[in-house]
Amino acid sequence: MNFQKSLLSAVLALVLGGVLTMVVSSGTVLSLLTQAIIYAVFALGVGVLLKQNGMVSFGHALFFGGASYLVGIVLQLQLMSAELAILAALAVVTLAAFLIGLVIVRVPGVAFGMLTLAIGQMFFLTASRARGLTGGADGMNIDWPSRLFGFPLSQMLKPASMFLICWSTLVVVMFLLAWLMRTRFGGITEAVRDNEERARFIGITTLWPRAAVYALSALVTSVAGVLSALNTGFVSPESLHWSLSGVALMMVVVGGFKALWGPAAGAVVYFLFKDILGEHATHWMTIFGVALITVIVFSPTGVAGLFDRWVLGKKPSVKVGGH
Amino acid sequence: MLTINLFNGLVYGALLIVMCSGLALIYGLRRVVNFAHGSLYMLGAYLGYSISLHSNFWVALVAAPAIMALLGVLLDRYGFRLLQDRDPLTVVLVTFGLLLVIEDLVQSYWGKSNLSVPVPEALAFSINLLGTPVPAYRLSVIFIGAAVALGLSLWLRFSKVGLFVRAASTDPVTTSMQGVNTDLLSAGVVGLGTALAGLAGVVAAPFLSLSPAMSADVIIDSFVVVVIGGLGSLAGAFIAALVLGMVQAIGAVYLPDAAVLLPFVFMIAILIWKPSGFAGSRT
Repeated sequence: MNFQKSLLSAVLALVLGGVLTMVVSSGTVLSLLTQAIIYAVFALGVGVLLKQNGMVSFGHALFFGGASYLVGIVLQLQLMSAELAILAALAVVTLAAFLIGLVIVRVPGVAFGMLTLAIGQMFFLTASRARGLTGGADGMNIDWPSRLFGFPLSQMLKPASMFLICWSTLVVVMFLLAWLMRTRFGGITEAVRDNEERARFIGITTLWPRAAVYALSALVTSVAGVLSALNTGFVSPESLHWSLSGVALMMVVVGGFKALWGPAAGAVVYFLFKDILGEHATHWMTIFGVALITVIVFSPTGVAGLFDRWVLGKKPSVKVGGH
Repeated sequence: MLTINLFNGLVYGALLIVMCSGLALIYGLRRVVNFAHGSLYMLGAYLGYSISLHSNFWVALVAAPAIMALLGVLLDRYGFRLLQDRDPLTVVLVTFGLLLVIEDLVQSYWGKSNLSVPVPEALAFSINLLGTPVPAYRLSVIFIGAAVALGLSLWLRFSKVGLFVRAASTDPVTTSMQGVNTDLLSAGVVGLGTALAGLAGVVAAPFLSLSPAMSADVIIDSFVVVVIGGLGSLAGAFIAALVLGMVQAIGAVYLPDAAVLLPFVFMIAILIWKPSGFAGSRT
């Protein structure tokens, strides 16, 4: 896809979002869609890491919940304006991820996944036990000011406008990622993913690009964290928990990670599935666990893979990760 | 004060040894990192709790690991063996799915509240160690950890089956060509590894309380231990387990607020120094 084409699809997607808010009048449906879109951004972050780096993160909830917590804490301490707080949260998460990445991307394959899980869970436990700043296991409310970026907050929180904000963010993030993947940076990261040794032979330092992709994926996920903080006005350790990392991973697996839009599709499928199951599904962890196993065993390329096979008639290439 | 904390570090290190030897064994033979290992530990602990309610702790100490061994054999036969030609990450994701299922089932069967198992009466006394009284039960946990470490090392080094295990860990195809039934071997080893997770659970129950969070606590430390020890290396894991146990114990005294984050700091420090762990990674 060339630049004009992806710009065109981005504009079309934005228009589609606008049309959707006019067609769908039910606030509940829009709220559900909004949630799905926020998680689509979250999953997009996990997907980028897998797609560009061949690495599976089991701890991305850290960046999702972490961004929400950072915004919440900064607003609670009244350190700066809400707009700056959002930017600061994104910057801090990205920088932290880059520094952590510099250390843990050197660990190959599965061990990397183990470390992401361990790190994520450590911060979950820290947040649940630190009562003073984060409210511990009860979570904390986020004191948004009455105006954000010049718009009144009460207007922004209406289902239709909230949906539009999240939808536009998703489209913009996807567009920027698609653009970034076509730059030299995208090429280098793919070379490193496919064969790190050969990439080194042709003079590429492999550590920096890997850490950069890790930071990039954290940044995308932290955008979702900020959106979630805005949407719910609340954050609890639940949004740092490994089951959430698992859900995001499942969206990526269900949607398929080869296509950029795969994880987003997975998020929508996930929320439809969850809605059909309804409130009476108390055993959601079991259901998702079984669903994850089923999908990974029987259709490792996910929805995007099925789409490729059935609609575009492509041959399946079954391989998760790249090492 | 410091003696008792070093002692507790040793106790926790011994528990981690039992946990991590199971992880390392399974990884060695199946090249699978079992993300559900912590959940199996939790399942073992809760099984031990139920069994000791009906009979006593000593029955639980034998029966719970035995049940877990059976589960492990089934896991290998109907899980790992069917997936052995797939990408390692596929299998990891399957064990992650399994983790979610076990966590949920344990929570819904035994509930979310904390449960406790009393220390068995025969060990409910204190021993004077360098002038500090220490609970005999905890001392016996150290012995169990040492026995597991020593037993596994001797078994792998000197027995015929141990030789097969080492051979299959290095090259499963050649090993099976030499007439070793590697499928049977793997089932046995995964069974043993799972039983060790169960054993760790039963042993931990009297001094750590049973809660749905217990698997998360232990899996963090186990993963850190296995990675910094060098994936698949038993000796590396033993050393890392003891060191991490000590770091935790000393941290609990001097930095109580940051105790949870200490393994993180420790891990980062080790990985900057040696990216493939103490014993060199075999991935």
